[in-house]
Amino acid sequence: MYVLGLDVGSASSKVVILDDDKNIVSFSTVQVGTGSTGPARALEEVFKKTNGLKIEDMTKIVATGYGRYAFEKADKQISEISCHAKGIFHLVPTARTIIDIGGQDAKAIRLDSRGAVSQFFMNDKCAAGTGRFLDVMARVLEIEITDMAEYDSRASEVVNVSSTCTVFAESEVISHLSNNIPKENIIAGIHASVASKACGLAYRTGLEDDIVMGGGVAQNAGVVRAISRELRRPVIVAPNPQITGALGAALFAYDEAKKH
Amino acid sequence: MSKVDTIIAELEAISKNPKKAMDDFKAKTGKGAVGVLPVYAPEEIVYATGYLPIGVWGGKKQISKAATYLPAFACSIMQSIMEMEIDGVYDELAAVLISSPCDTLKCFGQKWKGKSPVIQFVHSQNRNIEASNTFMVEEYKVIREKLEKILGVTITDEAINNAIEIYNENRAVMRMFSDVVAMYPQIIDPIKRHAVIKARQFMDKAEHTKMVRELIAEIMKEAVVPYKGKKIVLTGIMAEPDELLDVFKEFDIAVVADDLAQETRQFRTDVPAGTDPMERLAKQWQNMTACSLATDRDKPRGQFIVDLVKKHGADAVIICMMKFCDPEEYDYPIMLEDFEKANIKNLKIEIDQQSVSMEQIRTRVQSFVEMM
Repeated sequence: MYVLGLDVGSASSKVVILDDDKNIVSFSTVQVGTGSTGPARALEEVFKKTNGLKIEDMTKIVATGYGRYAFEKADKQISEISCHAKGIFHLVPTARTIIDIGGQDAKAIRLDSRGAVSQFFMNDKCAAGTGRFLDVMARVLEIEITDMAEYDSRASEVVNVSSTCTVFAESEVISHLSNNIPKENIIAGIHASVASKACGLAYRTGLEDDIVMGGGVAQNAGVVRAISRELRRPVIVAPNPQITGALGAALFAYDEAKKH
Repeated sequence: MSKVDTIIAELEAISKNPKKAMDDFKAKTGKGAVGVLPVYAPEEIVYATGYLPIGVWGGKKQISKAATYLPAFACSIMQSIMEMEIDGVYDELAAVLISSPCDTLKCFGQKWKGKSPVIQFVHSQNRNIEASNTFMVEEYKVIREKLEKILGVTITDEAINNAIEIYNENRAVMRMFSDVVAMYPQIIDPIKRHAVIKARQFMDKAEHTKMVRELIAEIMKEAVVPYKGKKIVLTGIMAEPDELLDVFKEFDIAVVADDLAQETRQFRTDVPAGTDPMERLAKQWQNMTACSLATDRDKPRGQFIVDLVKKHGADAVIICMMKFCDPEEYDYPIMLEDFEKANIKNLKIEIDQQSVSMEQIRTRVQSFVEMM
């Protein structure tokens, strides 16, 4: 038996296929999300990595993420809060607080000892503190987003970057650049800005250990360090953090399949 | 169409077209309407003039000109009212009553851009001392005198006392309606509930009372059956636009009680008995409780909502946080603590009348239902 979880986010599409023992058979990520070719490409890619599996071989399919209702072949749609919680708890059973920063939103989730969601908070309608914020800043700094963590590790100090508005923060960064402040220090400031937004949500959960990060932004070690520094706690990064939502969706699909 | 559906359809039509309600009232009585801005006002004084007090709570409107006079962080109610007043939407109102319970409203009353005369007043915040009543009586006297002058009428004590009785009766019927909805959520969904409550802003309260009384009688003929979805209590300033309530419906969420400023807070507190109508109205403000706009050092709002949840067997609370509403934002952490202590599940969603996409709210509501 095989099941599939599809996470159609605002900035990327992720797919996970599980087998009968909940092992990941294949997974894929494509860096474009809902309303684009991303979901179709992610599906094509995930099947290419298997030994000839096809979508018809999937016993159940669960979709999550911003574009969860746009995928007609899904048997069920489940919210990303539930899916990220399920995926991360499967990978890190000691997780009690989840910080998930995606392309367009940031979430803090509190789990109980069974992995059930007992509280969650999401960012308001604002790009500050999300993956999109980092995209904008990387463009201004003329560097690849994947290089930001490395720059951050070389920072000698953390400059102040606003966390209230992406556009204002962008002009602050431009101003720092024109004052010849090293990119490393500016990037550390950008990461601190993202961290302050995410931690504002996380504090409301009560912050029980272990604190685990998921979502695409967790791949940025600079943001993880900034969050850990702000919370004064260790932060565990979930393995393959970008696919934890898709993994959770696949686990829900697995549960559905086993019901019947 | 059942009798219940017919009454609701009529109230829904009124709730969606205040201009027609005002025109119909004018045609019937020869008198116009007086606008009443959020959140509280002694509407009974207006009612005593024979004019129709009509709620002015904004609406869905693209904002552009309002930015000339308001900062970007003024709430969407004030943004849309400002936009519409500039467009002349309220110019037919004979007068406009504006209280000052928050910073935005305090400034708002001083820069009305419509043509209607404005009567601004202030609620006392040291409410637990007798001086509060003295102050409120004086404020209400000014309102009375200004209304008499603007509308060219004489307002008698008898007319105000009579209005108080009509309003208290409407308040009692509306409280009953809210309790009946809690028993029959399969008949009255969140959109219908909101429409019945909102219609009272645009109607003669005596007529509204009559219709709601009839509606209650019709509903109660039906059998009470267990509700398959989730029951929630709403709190906040308002739960608009309707698309938000559509999301609740989509996930089988029933509203079994509310603490919304636009809804139940309007009819929660009766005007007390007495002879001097101005003193009676003043004391109502003193009796108001559990509201972000009425100072109360005991901060009873969280517990008040916890009690509502228990009374109606609700599954959770949804906090409809009006974007940029300072008083509500300040109350939130205190309420949150009360909800956590009482182990009551809760969800905060952001309210913006100008919202065009409900996707973020849909995700939160779906997650919340899954969590329950």
